[in-house]
Amino acid sequence: MRALGRRGSLAAMSRMWALWLMPAWELSSGTGTVVLQAASKQNLLQLRRRGALQDPRLVPVRNFRVSPVFSTSKIARPVKGDKKDRDNKDTDRSLVTVDNLFERGAKTKATFQEALDVFCKQDIRRRGHVEFIYAALRKMKEFGVERDIAIYNKILDVFPKEVFVPQNFIQRMYNHYPRQQECGVQVLEQMETNGVMPNKETYFLLLQIFGDKSHPVRKYQRILYWFPKFKHVNPHPVPDPLPQDPVDLARLSLQRMAADLDARVTAYQLPHVEVLDSGKEIEHPHITGIQSPDQQSLLARHNPERPVFVEGPFRLWLKNACVYYYVLRAELLPLEERKEEVIDPERNFYYPMQLDFDLERGPWDDEEFDIDEVEEGPVFAMCMAGAGDQATLAKWIVGLQETNPVLAQTPVVFRLTPGPRELQGRPDLEENGEEETVRSQSGLRES
Amino acid sequence: MALPLKVLNQHHWQNGLYPLFRPLVGGCNRSQYSSYRRPGTPPDKIPPWAKINFSFQKGIEGIKTHFGRLAKEARDHLRGPEGHPLKEYLLEQTRVTWQFRSEDDLNKWVISSDAEIGGKSEVYLKLGKNNQSAVLYGTLNTQVPRDGETRYSGYCSMRSKPRLISFDRKKPYDWSNFNCLHVRVRGDGRPWMINIYTDPYFSHHKDDLYNYFMFTRGGPYWEEIKIPFSKFFLSSRGRIQDQQHGLWVDKISTLGFTLGDQVDGPFQLEIDYIGLAKDRAHREECAYEQYEKNPKKKKTGGLFIYSTQACIPSAGSEY
Repeated sequence: MRALGRRGSLAAMSRMWALWLMPAWELSSGTGTVVLQAASKQNLLQLRRRGALQDPRLVPVRNFRVSPVFSTSKIARPVKGDKKDRDNKDTDRSLVTVDNLFERGAKTKATFQEALDVFCKQDIRRRGHVEFIYAALRKMKEFGVERDIAIYNKILDVFPKEVFVPQNFIQRMYNHYPRQQECGVQVLEQMETNGVMPNKETYFLLLQIFGDKSHPVRKYQRILYWFPKFKHVNPHPVPDPLPQDPVDLARLSLQRMAADLDARVTAYQLPHVEVLDSGKEIEHPHITGIQSPDQQSLLARHNPERPVFVEGPFRLWLKNACVYYYVLRAELLPLEERKEEVIDPERNFYYPMQLDFDLERGPWDDEEFDIDEVEEGPVFAMCMAGAGDQATLAKWIVGLQETNPVLAQTPVVFRLTPGPRELQGRPDLEENGEEETVRSQSGLRES
Repeated sequence: MALPLKVLNQHHWQNGLYPLFRPLVGGCNRSQYSSYRRPGTPPDKIPPWAKINFSFQKGIEGIKTHFGRLAKEARDHLRGPEGHPLKEYLLEQTRVTWQFRSEDDLNKWVISSDAEIGGKSEVYLKLGKNNQSAVLYGTLNTQVPRDGETRYSGYCSMRSKPRLISFDRKKPYDWSNFNCLHVRVRGDGRPWMINIYTDPYFSHHKDDLYNYFMFTRGGPYWEEIKIPFSKFFLSSRGRIQDQQHGLWVDKISTLGFTLGDQVDGPFQLEIDYIGLAKDRAHREECAYEQYEKNPKKKKTGGLFIYSTQACIPSAGSEY
């Protein structure tokens, strides 16, 4: 008993009950079979009816209150010898019955609500509601209702009202009905992890169930304090839900990465399926790219003798979706080839193109970090494509050549790492692969 | 030998019995950064003295390193506060606290993941291209270990080691000249959390952390993220505390980055440097206003917030 945790102690108690009651069962029924089973309510009922609990040493002073459901249900005694029948009964009597409520029918919001209703109507005293609520919380994700405030309120509604409200200061001082309060906190915690903001109804339910200053109400207050504080804390917010169209998604993520309002998103190719005369279908993936005027001028100044690189795929996470992008970039120039861009002072006669004022007020005005920052080659453009093979990306480069004529003279090197997109493969490649395997198989057969 | 030195060199004289209470807070055992014991594992019955390595070689090396550190400390002390000349120290507006340019810089950090509680995440730390940055990468896996107690899983983190001076004494950083944390990173769009651990005085403070979020933009560009210290909120054992106060900037022990956004998949974070900045436009002490827990006036309805104490948040220039 000592080793058991708090949760285990209840089950252990019921098991102890079973051990206590067993001799009585045996004496009264006269059967010598030792049936080690948990003392379910039906069991106790049977014992009570048979008068086995008349022995004052075995019976607690308070009588059992039996719910109307159980008093009306028929209880069949297991017939000795009919083993199959008895096994069935044993499974019926198992303590875990709450899960069965959720196993009926399709997994939708309606069935979830129905299960909650069934439990609430089953027993006016809501026996076993804590276990039921824990089971319901576990099942929420399966039913797809884990972000639904109405469902959470309905779950809280399962708690019997005004029973757990402390009535005097002593009850308030101690942890009143700790198991129920813990369960209520757990409901709120699941709301918190799923980012569901509790509403007024939640608050009134909690007040009715646990009273003010109880742990669940405190938890509610904490959520209400912190959620609005962190609601808009993300400087790069992502729409929820994410757009389904790959081009829209690509535009969103490219604009987020480029962080330049001047940058222009171009869809070089929209996703479509081309049907050839032979009846063969070729899927054309989408190609969406982004380039800003600054990047264009950078690329225009790029020495065409030095190659540019298409690198990728790189990951970008938008909440829980992962997308991949490719980058057109150049290597960092060696030190001797770098030269400062000198702006001709006579380029503009109306206002100076360069300002060189000494605005520092003193030696304390130096806000630069004393470090050499990481330097990397310039990025000329970015793109996202439905397929990551070289042919698709070459189409992107061809599209870029229209706005960047330098690219036609510059060698483009593809440095693609085998990413997840490579696994899809191109249809003709797959066919080649099949041919190869067929050949090898035939070769095997010949040998 | 060590104890009188310890007493002499303590920096917090205001805590009179501080050196004596020191062991309560957990020693400076460098090998043990995590005190977590998985459920089901038997308690450690090896007596503490059995773990001491009485190797002569190690003793000699220890004397060399510790007296080397002591000599350096003495030299730094003569030069000025924290080894800088006084003028430089007073005029300092920015400071680079951690940079990643060599393997030695990586050794100042500890990486950990939920593998130590039985989870399946992986995390690695390496130097980036041309030894110019640190790359923290790996895979996050939120599968909960089946030990019957753990309910949530899925984190990867990187944490700096506390600064140790001679004879393995801790010397927390004093950042009271600054009010912003400045990091230059390149992430992949995932949200991270920055955790600051302050050197605790009482043992019940030893799980306190100050946290704030770091949202990365993703993409090929580096970004500079500036977080004022006033925004950091206090949490203990992963739970935000009700009573918030400003960060103890003069007793900073470690700084860490944690990823735990409950999304399975690979991640990557490149860090160029971590620095401190003084933003003279920012005058906020603590961004989280406090309310009375049990307000006197009883009022009907769902409102429970009645009066505010001090700490009026001013307009921050960041986030």
